[in-house]
Amino acid sequence: MKPLNLIALLLFLAGATWALTRSEPMVREIQVAYFKAISPTLKSGSELETKARELLSETKHSKELETELSTIRGEIGRLRIIESRFQGLERENAELRHALDFKKVTDFDIVAARIIRRHPTTWWQTMEIDAGDERGIGVQLSVLSNEGLVGIIDRPFQNRSSVLLLTDEKCQVSVRVEGSPEVGILSGQRGDFDSNPMLRLRFLSKNAALKPGQRVFTTGRGGIFQPNILVGVIVSVERGALDSEALVRPAVDFDDLGTVFVVLSDNH
Amino acid sequence: MLRFNLSAVFLLLAAFLVQQFVPAFTGLSHARILIVHLVFLCAAVSVATPTMLFLAFIGGMLWDAHCSLAPMIVDPEVYTQPTESLRFGYSILLFAGMGFLMQGLSPLFREGKWQFSALLTGVATFLYLAADYALISFVRGDFIISRSILRLMSYTSLLTMLFSPVIFWLLYRLALLFEHSLYPEAGKNKRRSF
Repeated sequence: MKPLNLIALLLFLAGATWALTRSEPMVREIQVAYFKAISPTLKSGSELETKARELLSETKHSKELETELSTIRGEIGRLRIIESRFQGLERENAELRHALDFKKVTDFDIVAARIIRRHPTTWWQTMEIDAGDERGIGVQLSVLSNEGLVGIIDRPFQNRSSVLLLTDEKCQVSVRVEGSPEVGILSGQRGDFDSNPMLRLRFLSKNAALKPGQRVFTTGRGGIFQPNILVGVIVSVERGALDSEALVRPAVDFDDLGTVFVVLSDNH
Repeated sequence: MLRFNLSAVFLLLAAFLVQQFVPAFTGLSHARILIVHLVFLCAAVSVATPTMLFLAFIGGMLWDAHCSLAPMIVDPEVYTQPTESLRFGYSILLFAGMGFLMQGLSPLFREGKWQFSALLTGVATFLYLAADYALISFVRGDFIISRSILRLMSYTSLLTMLFSPVIFWLLYRLALLFEHSLYPEAGKNKRRSF
């Protein structure tokens, strides 16, 4: 090997080692700098992708109607979430009163955001929304649609955030099955790039008496997701030697998402 | 040569900007054209090893900045088996590996036979994705190969490879602009054959 190539290789290995040993805050700083540098094109790219998607969906609405419809949909979604939340609170209140106990539930706040990019990476099931730090969005906040749970905030930046979708293997959710004592951990399946991805519900009891069609809700345990958010519906159950697993169809149609809601604060 | 090498670095940086405009083809298992990888692979065969390694470092680090996920901070009592992520910077090594693979065809490229290198970009992209996926599986456990994964890797490699003549043409134009020869052996072979 030529001396120059050897020196270059050693320098390269030193650089790679430096990169591999960066701490999480340093990685975040690098990412912030990177996205800041490409933000002008990112915006153009997102607009182009949005336009292409709109063209492909053969929408016939005029721009004004589209904007108005989008606003109304956003408002309806927000109200539905608030309504479902109040129903949950009402039920919770009744349960707590029944137990002669009381728990103070504080207010929560929701930020509506539009999806600007889908699947910007090869392997991860992520998307980007047009709201970030400047609107109070932080890491690991729940992202909902009016149909149910969408995912969590992975990385917030100044005016955009990356959302890890429920369909990704890394997005784990503690859930319960309606009408049964079963609780488990739900996550996406690796490499499930089909248009109708399924979720896997693990760590159910060995003889879990579940039926297709039963709804799955968040438990609120684990410190990330609020309780009683609809996640999906049981499709099938697979019994194992030690425990059972179930396949769950997500409540959200991830191909038809336009506006989502980030839950800013909720003490549950 | 220095100016051409610098232009290759700028071309790679420009590829990151262009990549933002390339959406995933949802009808093709979310396959996409990997412009960044393509520019790196094409540049790797046309520059010397030290420059290739420099390009691999920049390309790999920025690609990880583009893609890497934040670690999930969860209650370990509830989430007993959290899903691991790959460390930031691992793509640098993958880029270098693919760069060395491309340089294997450097003698043919220097003779002006860029077509072989163009074909190799598809193979290298496929190997890159396969290695990437194998690393993810190694870290997370359970090696699962589904049809949709194979389709994703195949379509992505194919689509990326189809654009390689464009990148080689760009590099050729840059070489002309900076008075550098991409095919220094091409003339010699012709002289030999006559």
